[in-house]
Amino acid sequence: MASSDSQPRFGQSVKGLLSDKVGSCSGDVIALTRQVLKGSRSQELLSQAARNMVIQEDAILHSEDSLRKMSIITTHLQYQQEAIQKNVENSRNLQDQLKHLLK
Amino acid sequence: MAATGEEAAAMDSISKAPIPPSALNIKTDPDSRLENTSVEGVTESQPPVSKKGSNNNDGSVETAEEAVEPAEPDIDELCKDMFDKMAVFLQGELTATCEDYKLLENMNKLTSLKYMEMKDISINISRNLQDLNQKYASLQPYLDQINQIEEQVTALEQAAYKMDTYSKKLEAKFKKLEKR
Repeated sequence: MASSDSQPRFGQSVKGLLSDKVGSCSGDVIALTRQVLKGSRSQELLSQAARNMVIQEDAILHSEDSLRKMSIITTHLQYQQEAIQKNVENSRNLQDQLKHLLK
Repeated sequence: MAATGEEAAAMDSISKAPIPPSALNIKTDPDSRLENTSVEGVTESQPPVSKKGSNNNDGSVETAEEAVEPAEPDIDELCKDMFDKMAVFLQGELTATCEDYKLLENMNKLTSLKYMEMKDISINISRNLQDLNQKYASLQPYLDQINQIEEQVTALEQAAYKMDTYSKKLEAKFKKLEKR
């Protein structure tokens, strides 16, 4: 991060040196910011997290589809159970008739 | 040309004697002492005798005096412009990471909403299946009756076959007796 022109340059005017110094200070500030961002590795970690999330999304959608199908199947089972309930009430009469027949 | 000779002399003197690293040296003249004790933001109450920073060659190193008058307006403007642009640049550098975080936050929020919907669906399915299991358990006696009915029907069927066989035998015997 050290400026490249740390050596005093002879034969240059004060204005030139001042402008060089200002330029090197701003360059140092920019380099410091970049180094802080680079050192935190936030870019890599966040992009990796986003990638993993995208990979997981497919599995999540598939799970949601499966759950919706299960709920539909459960509803069908309920309808079937109601139809069975209605029809098995006749079995008592049937059984009595068969008992008489087989006597 | 003269400047080159002076610069060469300056280089020679510098190589022989140690000097402060900065070329911007504040002079220790009485005038500059007066200037040095002043604050950076010098007001106009300063006596008009104070001079602006100027380049002086004291034979060995080029020096400058501290500026005590307000800077020219265009320098101020340029400095403000420079700092504004630096601020915008640094803001942009930091905004990239902030946007990444915001993206992840939104993705997490959407995923959590999705999971909540799935949780609701699962709770409904669980409740419905529990009800179904109870209803099927209540249907069990009827299913047993159906099994008994099936056994009785099988027995009836066997009885019907036997009766059919017996009636055929009886018919055959009757025909035989009728022929005699």
